Amino acid sequence: MTAAILVSSRLSKTYQIGGRQLPVLSDISLTVSRGEFVVITGNSGSGKTTLLSVLSGLDRPSSGTIRLADRDITELSEDELAPLRNELIGFVFQAFHLIPSLNALENVMFPAELKKDPAAGDKATRLLERVGLSMRRQHMVSELSGGEKQRVAICRALINDPPLVFADEPTGNLDSTNSREIMSLLLELQRERDATLVLATHSREIARQADREVRLADGRLVSGEAS
Amino acid sequence: MIQVRFVLRELRYGGAQALTFILCVALSIATLTALNSFRSDVHRSLLNDAQKLHGGDVIIHSHYPISEPLEQAVRDIQSRAGADLARVYGFNSVVRPEVADGSLFVNIMAVAPGYPLYGSVDLASGRPFGEVLQAGAVVVAPEVLSRLSLRIGDRLRIGTAVLTIVDTIDYDPSRPVSIFSLGPRIFTSTGDLEQMGLLGVGSRSHYEILLRLPEPEQARKIAETLSRVATAGQERVETATTARSQVKRFFDNMLFFLSFISIFTLLLSGIGMQSSLSALLRQKQYTIAIGKTVGATYRFLLLHYLALTMLLGLIGAIAGVLAGLIIKSTFPLLFGEIIPAELMLGVTIGDLVEGMLIGLLVVVLFSSLPLYRIAAIRPVALLRLDLTGNVGKPATYLLAALVVVFLALLVVRQLEDVQTGLVFMLGCLGFIAIIFLLTSLVLRLLRALPVGNLAMRQAFRSLFRPGNATRSIIVTLASALSVLLTIFLLEFNLVASFITSYPKDAPNLFSLDIQRGQQEAFFAAVGKEAELFPVVRGRLLSINGEAIDYERENQRRSDSLAREFNLTYRDTLLDDEIIVRGERLFEASRPASDVVEVSVLDTIAEIGDIDLGDRLVFSIQGLPMTAEVTSIRSRTKSKLYPFFYFVFAEEVLAAAPHTFFAALHLERDAIDETITRIVTALPNVSTLNVADTVVRLGELIDRLARVITFFSLFSIVAGCLILIGSVLATRLERIRDCAYYKIVGGTTRFVLSITVYENLLLGMTSSILAAAVAIVSSWLICSAWFNIAFRLHGGALVIMALTTCAAVVGIGLISSLSIVRQKPVTFLYRQNG
Ligand SMILES: Nc1ncnc2c1ncn2[C@@H]1O[C@H](COP(=O)(O)OP(=O)(O)OP(=O)(O)O)[C@@H](O)[C@H]1O
Ligand SMILES: [Mg+2]
Repeated sequence: MTAAILVSSRLSKTYQIGGRQLPVLSDISLTVSRGEFVVITGNSGSGKTTLLSVLSGLDRPSSGTIRLADRDITELSEDELAPLRNELIGFVFQAFHLIPSLNALENVMFPAELKKDPAAGDKATRLLERVGLSMRRQHMVSELSGGEKQRVAICRALINDPPLVFADEPTGNLDSTNSREIMSLLLELQRERDATLVLATHSREIARQADREVRLADGRLVSGEAS
Repeated sequence: MIQVRFVLRELRYGGAQALTFILCVALSIATLTALNSFRSDVHRSLLNDAQKLHGGDVIIHSHYPISEPLEQAVRDIQSRAGADLARVYGFNSVVRPEVADGSLFVNIMAVAPGYPLYGSVDLASGRPFGEVLQAGAVVVAPEVLSRLSLRIGDRLRIGTAVLTIVDTIDYDPSRPVSIFSLGPRIFTSTGDLEQMGLLGVGSRSHYEILLRLPEPEQARKIAETLSRVATAGQERVETATTARSQVKRFFDNMLFFLSFISIFTLLLSGIGMQSSLSALLRQKQYTIAIGKTVGATYRFLLLHYLALTMLLGLIGAIAGVLAGLIIKSTFPLLFGEIIPAELMLGVTIGDLVEGMLIGLLVVVLFSSLPLYRIAAIRPVALLRLDLTGNVGKPATYLLAALVVVFLALLVVRQLEDVQTGLVFMLGCLGFIAIIFLLTSLVLRLLRALPVGNLAMRQAFRSLFRPGNATRSIIVTLASALSVLLTIFLLEFNLVASFITSYPKDAPNLFSLDIQRGQQEAFFAAVGKEAELFPVVRGRLLSINGEAIDYERENQRRSDSLAREFNLTYRDTLLDDEIIVRGERLFEASRPASDVVEVSVLDTIAEIGDIDLGDRLVFSIQGLPMTAEVTSIRSRTKSKLYPFFYFVFAEEVLAAAPHTFFAALHLERDAIDETITRIVTALPNVSTLNVADTVVRLGELIDRLARVITFFSLFSIVAGCLILIGSVLATRLERIRDCAYYKIVGGTTRFVLSITVYENLLLGMTSSILAAAVAIVSSWLICSAWFNIAFRLHGGALVIMALTTCAAVVGIGLISSLSIVRQKPVTFLYRQNG
């Protein structure tokens, strides 16, 4: 639990709206170690989603740097980021974001197929079994419930065994029973695989289970900065 | 009532779709405007003034001197109704300068003073035609001077007369365009007829009496009165409105065809309008759903989106009319010699208003379904994030039926003929139905295909994505391409069988009207012996007792049974003939009877539905002759070899007055000289340089093909607009998919290759379908209509397929690039914004 997998230094993000500059993140330095479970909390609008997307390379910071598994990803192009996303990172979103033209199994297989993993089908089947969805394998996305969709999304995030998983309010669209199930599943899988989990949430209950809590207020870190 | 700001605001985020919609409207209106104004040009300048075209209110036409009873009836009418009369005699001949070398095949029209009864023949000198054309003088088309290197004042040998050229023709109302005539025109005075010695000896002589009535409305009645005394099958009495003319027929056919293409374009752009408007409204689904949640009524939304549609439609209509004017201005260049530029009269307000009205009607019609869908969008969609509104089947069918009815009306209007219009409409629907079925079949096959490659598999999924216009794109592209390809294949085959493959040893010189006793002189003039075909002029009166319906025959687009035929006699088959029905040309032993035997060529047998054993009654020099069909022949070579529809045994016709026809093959550079020798020795013999004619025919076909291709290109543009519209319609889904591919690590290359595969599939399917349909339809037309051999042009097919695929992939890629370049985060966190 010593090697750092994600290091950001002096990150800031500013949106341009009309002619005005709107600072959303300021001066964020954060280090996450391998295998760690970090939650990012803060009021609505405090910048959690923005921080996650900048850290994961989905968006670019206005200044500062990000190192991911010892590589500086700050200036990488979309195509240089693509293989990193494929192999190093898994994403879980509040709105699931599954590909609607594929069924559950195909959605899970997809990242593995992209890197031409011959075992894609087996791995996906096993993962779906693991989350209790073997019966739903052939269902199209539109035929799944919210909780089922999120389980499929978790499987998709984990199929390539990424060392790092980002989750943005993964239970935000679910009821409390489902939320609890999804969270324990996610944590179980994370521990099994010794993956790092960075998760944004409003929920105190989830925050309590984390190794560390990082609080944002108005785009600044207010606690948990040290590591 | 209508909130203008709402309408304008809704336009803000639908730029591309709105533009596609406007372009579709503009395209359809531009084609309609250009074509309709071309049509009214043709009508106003060439066809409408039928009296000028035909030279009178009542026209009496015969290949023989007008019979006495008819002459008597004409005299009665002249004295009773006070009609003016002009006699006209026409024939073809070869003329040569009095002194210099050279000769020219011309059309001679000998006219009596008073001609023309309507309009005027304009002369280069500006003098009145009647004063200039005295006995001993001729007025010639400018071409005669240039081709024979002559000047005004020079003298021409016509038959056995020598006449002085006194002027040239600027405009001849009976021949508004000259491209279809074999020879340039020469006017002579009837006073010189006898001296020329050509009238009546030639098989192609026309005897005409033109009448101008004080009350032209009486024309019909008077024509009927005269018809009663006219010799049936030999003398034709017509009014200016019913008389047929080659020029009129040609333009009727051409306008028919161009109208067909313009309606096709209209239909395609209608589909384009519908798909781009659907795309625009799909983008607005959120607005609409939210609008409904906060209490906007369907009426409010419909009214505003309708206003939006009409605004776009109006912009498109104005742009279309302007574009139509520009297209129209290129017509002189496009049509070349087919229509002289001075006959293009420009666009009238009527044309414009008409184009606009039809266009706006099309807009309303094709917008109705997408607009109606607004009703189907339910606010609950917001919760499910699934916004595809489903319209009930009945409404869809009702609107489809409306579209069909509207198109039918338009077709009937454009084609100016109810029956043909409906047949044509059914044909079109059948054509599209076939393509539709084929497309569905191919798509089903594709869907079942196992695909290994990941990008390819995603491309397949993408093709079948809900809301994707895959099928309509393929159907429209394939229909447009197949029309284009069919036209190309037809031109290729027409040119191939008439011009390119014109065999080296095929006859290149036809001599008509060789009289009995002139055979030896003719052989001497051409320097060799040749086969001479006897020609007896005759008409068909009835088939199995059923009289030939002259009116109906004259309406036929193919050859008419009412015209005068060249009959011949011989006892053997020609080299290129085979017997397809019956055993031999004539039965071996046959009891003597009044009924003679005739062998019929398959092409005319088909037109007249004639079979073995049928009884045909002919009129030869006014005398009836009954014949029984004893064989049906077919030809194995190109049309340029001589052929005869009806062949009799020698003893049947040998006694009838006849001339001979010769088809010769000469060295190319000997042709002109030989023609001059023939006309010098035998002034009454008309000799046609076929090689020359074939070249001119080739040019004409080329011109026509160019005109048709030009118009067909508009339908291709419509196809492209549909493609763009469809990409736009699925833009949201594409952006979403692209973001999803990226978050799991797909590269730009991967995303682009999906787009390429997807469009490649579209392009390939469309072009393969188009090729199949075009091959079948052009083969059908070639073998059933033109009666020519059909050959494929592999290169054209490959080029068509490649260009189509390249264009489709290109359009797909360009419209996807902006999507692919976006960072995924833009979609993931802002999709509902
Ligand atoms: N594309 C953008 N352009 C301008 N401002 C933006 C954009 N995206 C987010 N913001 C602003 O940045 C701030 C932070 O937004 P963000 O979505 O990161 O907050 P959050 O902490 O995730 O809130 P929530 O808990 O409600 O999801 C907000 O004030 C928001 O208005
Ligand atoms: Mg957020």
